[in-house]
Amino acid sequence: MTRSVDREDPDRLYIVTGGRSRVDESSIDSVSLIVSECDPTPGMQSEHVKILRMCTGPKAVVEIAAELGLPVSVVKILLCDLLDTGRITARHPSSAAAPTPGPAKTRLPDPTVLKQVLVGLEKL
Amino acid sequence: MDRTLLVLLAAVVVTGGACLLATASVPAGDRALVATYTGVAALALCATLAFAAHGFQTARRLRGRVATMEAELLRLADETLPGAVKRLRDGASSDTVLASVVQPTGSAHRRILRTLVDEVGRGERMRAAAMSACANAAGRVQALATSMLADLREMENRHDEETLGDLLKLDHATAQAGRLADSIAVLTGARSGRRWTKPIVMESILRGAVGRISAYQRVRIHSTSTAAVAGYAAEGVMHALAELMDNATSFSPPSEEVHVYVEEIHTGIVVTVEDGGLAMSSAALERAEQAVSAEALDLATLSGTRLGLAVVGCLARKHGLTVSFRPSSRGGTGVVVMIPRQLVTQPAPEAAPAGSRAAGAQRRTETASGPGDGAPAATATLTAPANDVAETVAAPDAPTGAAAPAASGTPQAESDTTGENMIAGLPKRRRGQTLAAASAPSEASADAPKKKPAKPLDPGAKFTAFREAGRRKRTGNDAHASEPDDA
Repeated sequence: MTRSVDREDPDRLYIVTGGRSRVDESSIDSVSLIVSECDPTPGMQSEHVKILRMCTGPKAVVEIAAELGLPVSVVKILLCDLLDTGRITARHPSSAAAPTPGPAKTRLPDPTVLKQVLVGLEKL
Repeated sequence: MDRTLLVLLAAVVVTGGACLLATASVPAGDRALVATYTGVAALALCATLAFAAHGFQTARRLRGRVATMEAELLRLADETLPGAVKRLRDGASSDTVLASVVQPTGSAHRRILRTLVDEVGRGERMRAAAMSACANAAGRVQALATSMLADLREMENRHDEETLGDLLKLDHATAQAGRLADSIAVLTGARSGRRWTKPIVMESILRGAVGRISAYQRVRIHSTSTAAVAGYAAEGVMHALAELMDNATSFSPPSEEVHVYVEEIHTGIVVTVEDGGLAMSSAALERAEQAVSAEALDLATLSGTRLGLAVVGCLARKHGLTVSFRPSSRGGTGVVVMIPRQLVTQPAPEAAPAGSRAAGAQRRTETASGPGDGAPAATATLTAPANDVAETVAAPDAPTGAAAPAASGTPQAESDTTGENMIAGLPKRRRGQTLAAASAPSEASADAPKKKPAKPLDPGAKFTAFREAGRRKRTGNDAHASEPDDA
């Protein structure tokens, strides 16, 4: 108990989220990959700054939550704020695997091929 | 008394002699009559004189006693009693005080002194007992609130969104209860709240303060300060600011926002709390200044309901804060709090911003010289400015080439993002990879553009970069497990 008391910060979560406890839009879930679109500006909430700094490469929401030490739902609220202002982009990891109009070589390997490889490896 | 007798004797001798003379000087036939009358007159005269003499003497004696008593009374009133009361206030017991002071001679004075010292002593004991009871209770509530807040925080981490809203409400209520307990603790002279073991940055100070008031959603914080307040004073500063913000929100209409500005100056940090309520009159401003001024707290001036400013005053004295009130340009009242320089520290700059950038650049070059890219590209990345990094990174592959033109709008940001995608290509990023691989077969990516309606053109390019990164990762790390399409 004392350990967690000592580790705490004085700011409470309802201040971090501005009193919100959930977000309406569900465009972000725990495994969404987040990439920042701009550098933090002075006067931003420190969590936003941290998110923008750590998301220079794609990063899952749960990873961000773990690094910030905040609950995932709180991080989602923070991310929605950033998303609404266009400072980050979010993408579901599965979208990388789906066929897109882009060049064929950017697609992920077909699951059936992967399965075959797995079976082949198990046979070794 | 003897003087009265002397006078009486002299009067008797003189009047007796006069009577005898008078009696002797008249003819013998009238002597009896004359003797009777003169005797009566002489007796009356003697009696009168004796009474007069006695009266004079008594008056003189009494005057003397009155003077003595007056002096004694003066000493009692001016020296003995104030001294005794002071010693009682300082905590001495009534018997000790009675033994130490100069006892007055009159028994009535002694009784007065004893009664007074006893009563004041009892009053002091009651006050001290009440104070310590209050302080003790407040301390327990503080401890409870602190541990409840820690528990709540832990629960907030554990539970999902459904429960989170309720937990946040409880959290808010507990924080307010904690502030009340802190206020009582401060007024009763107990230790204030908790002590932080590290410097607390200004943002956290302000948020901690805002979190303890009921109308926290009406407070707008404007702060770019990176300074921190020393741990031992952080709680006091937070509490004082919370009380001032609470005043500001409760004395302004619910539709008005309260604005908090932070400014770093060479003597410390200035925090201004401005509300848009009714302006305080000059007399009210003066009273408020008085309440937070440097004089010691007088519990007798506390009103039952408004403790805020008294608390601020106590905290200001304890930590050397300067609090002043002025009419606000927003129409209400502005409170200016100066946090002195001794309490302010500049925290060590976080290694994250500079360090990660530098490491990122380093890694970027390593990646560039890795499996996918040619050596010339790598050296170009090393020396090129940020904008060129995007080009260099994007150049070798066709799909990312599409990202480079899209980046022209915001060159700096785009180049960073594209550059860092190369970091994502590092073999060590296993986690993102498993995530991507795990959910690979299922859903479609049709929602990708919908996520960012503001900039419809950009996401496509960005996601192409993503994919590129993902592809690199797989080719770099898991080449044995999967067969890339392009191979």
